Amino acid sequence: MGIHKTSTMGIALVCIGALTVAAMHRAAGAQPQSPDQVHTALRILASVYADMESKLPGGQFDRIPHENMEFREASGAMRDAIDKESDDFKAKVLAALDNAVSASQNVADTSKTHDAAKVRKALDALVVSMRSLNGLFPEALRAEPGSVPAPQHNRPPPQP
Amino acid sequence: MAFDPPASRSVEVWLPVTKSAGWAPRFQLGKLPLMRRRDLLAGLLSVPLLPAVHAAAAASAKHSEVSLAIATDGDLLAFKPTELTCTTESLVHLTLFHTGKYITQEHDWVLTAPGAADAVAQSLLAAGDAGGYVPHGDRRVIAATKMCNKGEHVRVDFIAPAPGAYPFICTYPGHAAFMRGTLRVTPR
Repeated sequence: MGIHKTSTMGIALVCIGALTVAAMHRAAGAQPQSPDQVHTALRILASVYADMESKLPGGQFDRIPHENMEFREASGAMRDAIDKESDDFKAKVLAALDNAVSASQNVADTSKTHDAAKVRKALDALVVSMRSLNGLFPEALRAEPGSVPAPQHNRPPPQP
Repeated sequence: MAFDPPASRSVEVWLPVTKSAGWAPRFQLGKLPLMRRRDLLAGLLSVPLLPAVHAAAAASAKHSEVSLAIATDGDLLAFKPTELTCTTESLVHLTLFHTGKYITQEHDWVLTAPGAADAVAQSLLAAGDAGGYVPHGDRRVIAATKMCNKGEHVRVDFIAPAPGAYPFICTYPGHAAFMRGTLRVTPR
């Protein structure tokens, strides 16, 4: 009787654990149909963000609208990457993507003021929107702003 | 019918006549068509160039040839691969393929002297749009392709420098921070 009770509790715990893991996985983002394409698209967006942000320290405000155009073009990679997803999930991703594209446009608009503080604030808003987009996908596929380019590209070439 | 030039003439060059009627010979003296004259002139003028042709042939024999291929990492700001290798004094044919699909952005491949990559990138940035961000006459630059856009190839040929590690970058504004790699030149 005691053994039976113990095994029932064990099964219940395993079920609860499995459900918890499943719920966590769902919360972290479902595996997309084309994970490689999604990862590449997120990396491209993060790469363009890095290029855009790199214009700020040198005060190259006039270059920022060009980077915004690249961000808009790069969003096409994500649109293609989620083409096979369910309508429901696609709608979520496209809404988050559109938010990011709008935030990028805001950076470009703000850059015309040549006010570094305002541009920084707009860039921060872009980061938030990009994190929301990344959050829709599993952690392994994400490429948060600031994570790209890969470390080896940040390193200067070896000096002989 | 056998050719029978008039005996009274000292014949050096005989050429076909376009129209032959009656007794007129089918060949006449001195009517060199323009193309023939040009060929002759070109041949004569090229005689002094023969030593240069021999020199080029000798250079080709002296330098072993190597073909290197590098590409952009799709639309990312990165070269793929980031390391290339060749032998010193080899004649290098390097091809850059812009594999981008979405973003309209230019890239090039510029090989510089050791330690000069960032300075070259900065000087091109300072020169602004007018110079097209392409190095012209910069002695720190060993070789450089033209700029290319997505889907395009560009090529540069150069003689590999002395053994060592040479940085290469993309000189489009802002790209050098990310698009960089090393050409390792080994001894012969």
